[in-house]
Amino acid sequence: MGLEDKLPEGIITTQLESLVNWSRQNSTWPLLFGLACCAIEMIATGSARHDISRYGSELFRASPRQADLMIVSGRVSNKMAPVVKRLYDQMSEPKWVIAMGICASAGGPFNNYAIIQGVDKLIPVDVYVPGCPPRPEALLYALDKLREKQGRETFAKYRRNELAEAMLSPQDMDSLEALRAKQFA
Amino acid sequence: MLNVAPRFREYETLPSLNDPSIPALPPLPTGESEDTRRIVERFGEDILAAGLHNGQQIVYVKPERLLELAAFVKDDPKLAYEAVVDVSAIDRLKLPIGADDARFQVVHQLRSYARKQHLMIVAPCVGNETPTVPSLGNLFAGAIWPEREVLDLMGITFTGHPDPRRILMPDSWPNHPLRKDVPLGGEEVPFTLTWGDPEFATLGKQILPAESVPPKLPPGMNRENMIINMGPHHPSTHGVLRLVVELEGETVVNVDPDLGYLHSGFEKTGENKRYKDFVYYTDRMDYLSSMNNNFGYVLAVEKLLGLEIPERAQVIRVIMSELQRIASHLFWLSTHALDVSGTGMSLLMYATRERERILDLFEMVCGARLTLSYIRVGGVWRDLPEAFINNLRDLLAVLPRYFDDYEAMLTHAPLWQERLEGIGKLSRADVINMGLTGPMLRGSGVDWDLRRDAPYGGYENYDFKVPVYTEGDCYARYLVRMEEMRQSVRIIEQALRNLPDGLFRTDDRKVSLPPRAELDVSMEALIHHFKLMTEGFRVPAGMVYHAIEASKGELGFFVVSDGSAVPYRLHVRGPSFNNLYAISKMSRGEMLSDIVTNIGSIDIVLGEVDR
Repeated sequence: MGLEDKLPEGIITTQLESLVNWSRQNSTWPLLFGLACCAIEMIATGSARHDISRYGSELFRASPRQADLMIVSGRVSNKMAPVVKRLYDQMSEPKWVIAMGICASAGGPFNNYAIIQGVDKLIPVDVYVPGCPPRPEALLYALDKLREKQGRETFAKYRRNELAEAMLSPQDMDSLEALRAKQFA
Repeated sequence: MLNVAPRFREYETLPSLNDPSIPALPPLPTGESEDTRRIVERFGEDILAAGLHNGQQIVYVKPERLLELAAFVKDDPKLAYEAVVDVSAIDRLKLPIGADDARFQVVHQLRSYARKQHLMIVAPCVGNETPTVPSLGNLFAGAIWPEREVLDLMGITFTGHPDPRRILMPDSWPNHPLRKDVPLGGEEVPFTLTWGDPEFATLGKQILPAESVPPKLPPGMNRENMIINMGPHHPSTHGVLRLVVELEGETVVNVDPDLGYLHSGFEKTGENKRYKDFVYYTDRMDYLSSMNNNFGYVLAVEKLLGLEIPERAQVIRVIMSELQRIASHLFWLSTHALDVSGTGMSLLMYATRERERILDLFEMVCGARLTLSYIRVGGVWRDLPEAFINNLRDLLAVLPRYFDDYEAMLTHAPLWQERLEGIGKLSRADVINMGLTGPMLRGSGVDWDLRRDAPYGGYENYDFKVPVYTEGDCYARYLVRMEEMRQSVRIIEQALRNLPDGLFRTDDRKVSLPPRAELDVSMEALIHHFKLMTEGFRVPAGMVYHAIEASKGELGFFVVSDGSAVPYRLHVRGPSFNNLYAISKMSRGEMLSDIVTNIGSIDIVLGEVDR
């Protein structure tokens, strides 16, 4: 198989992208952050029977700066909303969010003055888990889904953002009028 | 194709359609007891009404003499009501009150531990838009936080209150949500939206700014000292609790808890749901002991209904309640040990292993692990499955051995003793005055357990010991809870021995659904089914406070019915909320790290603190 045949045993070739994705998939550290009932199921997922460490996610980091994944486990109240947003902003890229349970996904049974109807109004969500609360198996399935998503990530995504910013800055760009003028000149 | 604009109907109005007797005021108390007679003799004309209602002693008093009455019942040796366990208020805007009647009433629940008596004092407030009533905070420390809650949610000013600040809602919140003229809020659920609707474009894109609020310095704190912010995101606050801690060196000078980060509007929601529908909400308050929450709520409603529960249902309820107590205490033990001692993760893993087995049993009876809703008005949801009893027996056989293991790991471990002994000390007088309940009481030498002293749900038939320790520190509370788990095993064993055959749910068709098979043969069953499903059951007008001994302490439900199928006022006395008040007193003068021990020792669940 091409280059690998010529290399000594134990050496494989791969794309840097897939290597990085592979490592991210297998050690996604969640933020140690519980809100309500779902947090108890999140703890249950982390403890003896369900054993989240099979996914490399057993290391719940208390500091958002060391975490990759925010599991929003429970209802977000109006008073809590700024805190959730701040925590998300403090997490370093790349970062993912799982909205665990129906309250975090869409407000759930608490359609009232106190609760934000879905955490996606504050921060972008990658995986929604239904349930009230979801069973630990459901959270593990959500992690699986997240792994799929992580596997599809490309460096270009980050590069694209930079490029887009650079291109869209008005100093560097010709105006639409100028472009048209060039075309029809 | 079909593009019907969503129509929203006020849910509240459904059950009381076309019934002129709704809404009705709760009837005034009748008859008298020794205590009410003594109070009436002393206060004469200023007592508006006194007597018994639903078996509870109630006194209606004019607001100007409320303070005097409270002092009297506290100091009089023949009354000796030592503690205020709860304060709530009723907004009577939608009740048929007279033009001169006060719109707001404040309700105090008083408890005498020595005489095993309970007294409800109701005082109308002066003024309808800015109601005021005297505060009992200077007499009973236990009234301070509940009064702040009433101030926050109901907008009632307590004159002479030592700390009149909002407690749950943000300071900038524009209204007092529990008032009847404030809507429930929330968003309309677009069930019938189609691609063509203009609203569709905005769905999922309503980004809230959620700007940070600059924190305020709590009163009584000195900026000269170091002020540390603990939480709301902190691994050892057991949820979203924020503590503002004032430190001098590493010694705690002052602690100010900031609550409300998980305020979910349970009470307001409950006042917009039918009685039978609120059972599911109770699960989500103290999510570590759902069965206890179900049990407490259901008992309060049954007390209003005057319902008799079949023997089998009662025994099943006791089994579930005690299993839940063990599960809750196991979780407390594991997280407490994780926070405090050197056993690290191991005890968490061991204790959750046993807890999982209890959750398996719950799953067997109701299909859920955490939010169970198994105990319903009239009985329980389903009968016990066949395999349940044997599985439970297997578990009971091994549980005490596991408890021994934990005790071997902790009780005499030097590190554990060092961190717990003498920490968070509360005297007997303190715990009573602060209105603490549960293991907080029993760890400080108050021999009180609602299961034994005010039996409910058939607890009078069981033989169990109430562990009491007099030291009043975290270690004593630890010992209390360990012993409670063993006693719970004893209670379940007795219940299993005496589990009778029979109905698992009352056959009163006004309250409980007929079995499916009956629907095919009986028109009447069909009608009952239809009525119960569409309208729910109506509850006679009345007012009730019912408390049970949940795993954290006294869980009380205060329900006011106006005769419809929706509670007019529903207030929950969460044990964690009142117990958490003690954190300042416990931590003052101790080290910063002891705050973690104290939080663990109080055993809070924020879902119940903030509600």
